Amino acid sequence: MKRSSPIAVTLAFLGYVVMIVPILFVVATAFTDGDALTFPPEGLSLRWFEAAISYEPFTRALVSSLQLALISTVLALGIGIPATLAIMRGRLPGKSVVEGLFLSPLILPELVVGLALFQQFMIHLEMDNFRTLLIGHTAILLPYTVRVTGASLALADPALEDAARGLGASAWRSFWTVTLPVLRPGIISAALLSFVTSFNNVPISLLLQSRDFRTLPVTMLDYVQQNYTPIVAAMSTLLLAGTVVLAFAAERILGFARIFGGINR
Amino acid sequence: MTTAAEFVAVSRHFGDFTAVDGLDLTIREGELTTLLGPSGCGKTTSLRMLAGYLAPSEGQIWIGGEDVTRTPPEKRGLGMVFQSYALFPHMSVADNVGYGLKLRKVPRAERARRVAEALELVGLGHLADRRPKALSGGQQQRVALARAIVIRPRLLLLDEPLSNLDARLRVQMREEIRRIQAEAGLTVVLVTHDQEEALEMSDRMVVMNGGRVMQEGPPDELFPAPANRFVAEFLGYENFLELPGRGLVTVRPELLELRGEHLEAAGHGTAPATAVPATVTSIAYRGVELRVALDAVDATGATVPLIASVRRDAIDSRDLPALLPGGRVTVGADPGHLVRLSA
Repeated sequence: MKRSSPIAVTLAFLGYVVMIVPILFVVATAFTDGDALTFPPEGLSLRWFEAAISYEPFTRALVSSLQLALISTVLALGIGIPATLAIMRGRLPGKSVVEGLFLSPLILPELVVGLALFQQFMIHLEMDNFRTLLIGHTAILLPYTVRVTGASLALADPALEDAARGLGASAWRSFWTVTLPVLRPGIISAALLSFVTSFNNVPISLLLQSRDFRTLPVTMLDYVQQNYTPIVAAMSTLLLAGTVVLAFAAERILGFARIFGGINR
Repeated sequence: MTTAAEFVAVSRHFGDFTAVDGLDLTIREGELTTLLGPSGCGKTTSLRMLAGYLAPSEGQIWIGGEDVTRTPPEKRGLGMVFQSYALFPHMSVADNVGYGLKLRKVPRAERARRVAEALELVGLGHLADRRPKALSGGQQQRVALARAIVIRPRLLLLDEPLSNLDARLRVQMREEIRRIQAEAGLTVVLVTHDQEEALEMSDRMVVMNGGRVMQEGPPDELFPAPANRFVAEFLGYENFLELPGRGLVTVRPELLELRGEHLEAAGHGTAPATAVPATVTSIAYRGVELRVALDAVDATGATVPLIASVRRDAIDSRDLPALLPGGRVTVGADPGHLVRLSA
């Protein structure tokens, strides 16, 4: 095994400390028996977890968030994958302009995007807030789907499609039987990344919230502003656990390196 | 001899660049035809047009008496082996080979039988369930070959199929491809930049440069009589010089004769009908041969570099001291060994 340099080990260790320790504090406070968000926790109990899963605004918001993340991920993949293929494989005039358009949500301030959608779609066109949120979330997910599937496509041998065509497959058939399966790891990683990005989004979800449809992060933010009970820490811990389970499953099924490298070799 | 495919006045332009320039070429049934030339000579562009991946800018392509110029690749019924092999990474070896049969709706049982047969033909029957990435380069190459021939293609197209293999395997695969061609009775078009490969494998070779055919013919006719300097250089000829009354000629290093103050004719002993003065510039010992580099002065007065390959035992030991850098000699050759070139 290769011996890592002591400097690299130290930096990696510091990195983990900075990232993980604050999270551990949140997790620890979630198990408190007291009534305040304090560290160290006073006593040990699961009562705040019980409170979190039976607190109706949170559970309703969780369902909303999952719905929004799922549908916007599907939409972003549905638009992003064909766009990537057109940009990278097609004979598209002004490819770089199109690519720039798809990547632009990455650099636009999300609050500005949210405000623009609020003004134009919700006020001007009187669209309901769920659809407006879908549009906003899909837009900010597109850069991820285009970049991640693009990286995967760049690594795939363009001769694969030629080979399929030569063996008798129509363009459509070769797309379904060769291109798409080869891109599968890239598509899965784009989907995971999109889902998480949508689920965690605050700026757009904050501006486009309504009384009937509000995402979990916005609801939690709202709650923290008015109350200071460990219920928020408990909810955060549950989300963290969910994420760890998801990541672990993905690692077991596909392997992280493959998901985030998008390489099918 | 029946015609399997034909290029009729085919050109292909990429912007201002003309990759193929008025190509007329006949591929004969049952033969292995090589398109040989340096990179950028138009050989791969020609193959891709034949396969249907590129449309000609001008001219027509015929396969089996049918104009296929506007036919998409999937309707041409050809088998192609790509330089990168292009095996589908998400399928097993057997599924790769069976892909074309599945598209042709060949029933499952017959498909399995033909896949097994094709894998047997390339000697990989035991690896049917592996994934392509678990195979060596040579094995992947064979799978690509099996995948292309299992559909009983009208033509088998090979795009630099051996260039990614190591030297020993490459030589072995040359014979292997010839054997498979003979067993399956295939018409093959092979693209290569390796003249040795072309000479060894072809029934007919087509030397290309700048999008045009420089010369074509069977290797045993083409090699001894290159038409011009380009073909001669590409086939490995080294000595080019102008001789009075003969124009530009070339002669193989081993057929060049040396004479000096003390040197007897190093070659066949016959007096060279044409001889030029030369100075030895360097000598390399290669086993039984001496490879002598010389600077000669030809008919135009130009100094041209020549290489003579002389058998060591053909030289009298007393004459060896003359074969040193700076030594002055006369270089000649039997007129029958001179190859006249057009330019």
